[in-house]
Amino acid sequence: MLEFLVQRALISVVTLCVISMIVFTGVRMIPGDPARVMAGTDADAAGLEAVREKYGLTDPIPLQYLRWAALAVQGDLGESIRTREAVVRTVATKLPITIELAALSLIVAVGIAIPAGVLAAVRRNTIWDVVTSGASLCGVSIPNFWLGIMLILFFSVRLGWLPASGFVPIWESPLANLQRMLMPAFVLGTALAAVLMRQTRNSMIEVMSADYIRTAYSKGLAGRVVVFRHAIRNSLIPVITILGLQMGALISGAVVTEQIFVVPGFGRLIVEAVFTRDYPLVQGVVLITASSYVLINLLVDVSYSLLNPRIRIRSSAGDA
Amino acid sequence: MTPSASATAAGPMPADRPAGPWLRAWRRARGRPASAAGALIVLLFVATALAAPWIATVDPIQGDWKQIRKAPTWAHPFGTDDLGRDTYSRVIWGARISMQAGVFSILLAIAVGVPIGLVAGFYRGALDQVIMRLTDAWLAFPFLILAIGLVTIMGPSLTNATIAIGLGATPTYIRLTRGLVLAIAAEDYVHGARALGAGDLRLMTRHVLPNIVSSLLVQATISIPIAIIAEAILSFLGLGVQPPAPSWGTMLNTAQQFLETAPWMAWWPGIAIFSLTLSFNLAGDGLRDLLDPRDY
Repeated sequence: MLEFLVQRALISVVTLCVISMIVFTGVRMIPGDPARVMAGTDADAAGLEAVREKYGLTDPIPLQYLRWAALAVQGDLGESIRTREAVVRTVATKLPITIELAALSLIVAVGIAIPAGVLAAVRRNTIWDVVTSGASLCGVSIPNFWLGIMLILFFSVRLGWLPASGFVPIWESPLANLQRMLMPAFVLGTALAAVLMRQTRNSMIEVMSADYIRTAYSKGLAGRVVVFRHAIRNSLIPVITILGLQMGALISGAVVTEQIFVVPGFGRLIVEAVFTRDYPLVQGVVLITASSYVLINLLVDVSYSLLNPRIRIRSSAGDA
Repeated sequence: MTPSASATAAGPMPADRPAGPWLRAWRRARGRPASAAGALIVLLFVATALAAPWIATVDPIQGDWKQIRKAPTWAHPFGTDDLGRDTYSRVIWGARISMQAGVFSILLAIAVGVPIGLVAGFYRGALDQVIMRLTDAWLAFPFLILAIGLVTIMGPSLTNATIAIGLGATPTYIRLTRGLVLAIAAEDYVHGARALGAGDLRLMTRHVLPNIVSSLLVQATISIPIAIIAEAILSFLGLGVQPPAPSWGTMLNTAQQFLETAPWMAWWPGIAIFSLTLSFNLAGDGLRDLLDPRDY
């Protein structure tokens, strides 16, 4: 068990190192002179040279990388060119908004996907299965930014029930916050629900055909009891892994959703940083995104092995 | 999914009389009408993309200042946009851009990913470890973030968006290929071929590759709709196809500003994306059942 965790953690560290190199090189491949961007357009040759000296841009690239990585490990990702605010600070103010959005959409997704997936599996090959599977297929196929636009068109423009865009911090007015988060969370949640539903259905079908379920039935337990007490628990284990892998999709989705509903979160920050050519911000934001993906999936793997003892046993048996 | 589908999907069955390929295809299609319809609609979109100049006779770029944001009429069945351009024409021409981005990006992903995965899975060892760690790191960047990053480096255009999406999809193909190769390279017939003196290259191209083609094809039907949506998103954000070219994503971007006065501008490009991706997914589901007879 411990060996498995250590091995998994080491792989994550290696991945994080490679990620930081990719990000660092990537940002340096963006056309344009960073000294010119930092000094401003009216800087003369001497001014540019001073900036290069100050930020060590004349040093060899590997040295620059090591310096940057050393600072990054300490939580210093430089400062935004545009606002002069520390990148970490900017991210810290934007991230809670996106986390709220992600949490709400997760509630939407799980709330739709798990019951629907279980229903489709238990009532397999009936009209319920066809309807839920069809809905899931539509959910995968619908471009979520278009779904967002259609929701605005219907609920804001046509009916006037919900504000089309904007953001109110939750501590100022929880109701207004929720009103504005409802549509973005739904848009983001349905995309996730579609994927989760498929996974829930498949793994539920697999579990339902297991011997212990047949035993439970033959003991005379009611179908309801078998499904809820015996089957669901085990069938949700692979769903958790999928949830971890979907974090990337959730972040991608947040970029688009926040753009449509003008939510000032992390996703919108990425697009803003790209458009204003704020390289330190782009660099920091992409690094944080990729690193959190790695860490979340490490956590998922760990929780997976805690939930499913077979994996622990198999891995330690394999190592021995 | 249905019992009849799994029966027809079980591959070539010994029939009394050998059925021709067309008859067999028809029998299979009848078992899965939704998938057959999906495949048909995909083909229709392909035809639309190829025949755009003949289907959409109104210029998709040239605006008419007297026809700004007009509701659908007989002359303009999908209405007109903020510059007085015919939305129908633009949606038709948009099929070309979407298809281009969707298909070519995945071809790129296959062209890059499959050889890398093949080498990693075939030789294993240290090289495999290096490739897989790089792939892990690559996969850690959410697809869209990676595409946005690459477009920032290369500059926004259809070609660059296609490349960015393709490179974003590449790690999936590396992983898939490697996994399949690991399984197939262990088969007896591969050992047999090696014992008969087949070299590495011959083993890879003649004995391993043909056996993973069907899985790659299935993955492509999953990836292409994702790539089509990704192109629309990049264009929607202003990082893909540049105006005035008619991309469904850029059209939706403009449409969002006129939701109150010209809602039709937002309907059609979205309906086009949705029906294309849905058809691809339906067709892909059918293909998966045909090639992989496990009943899921």
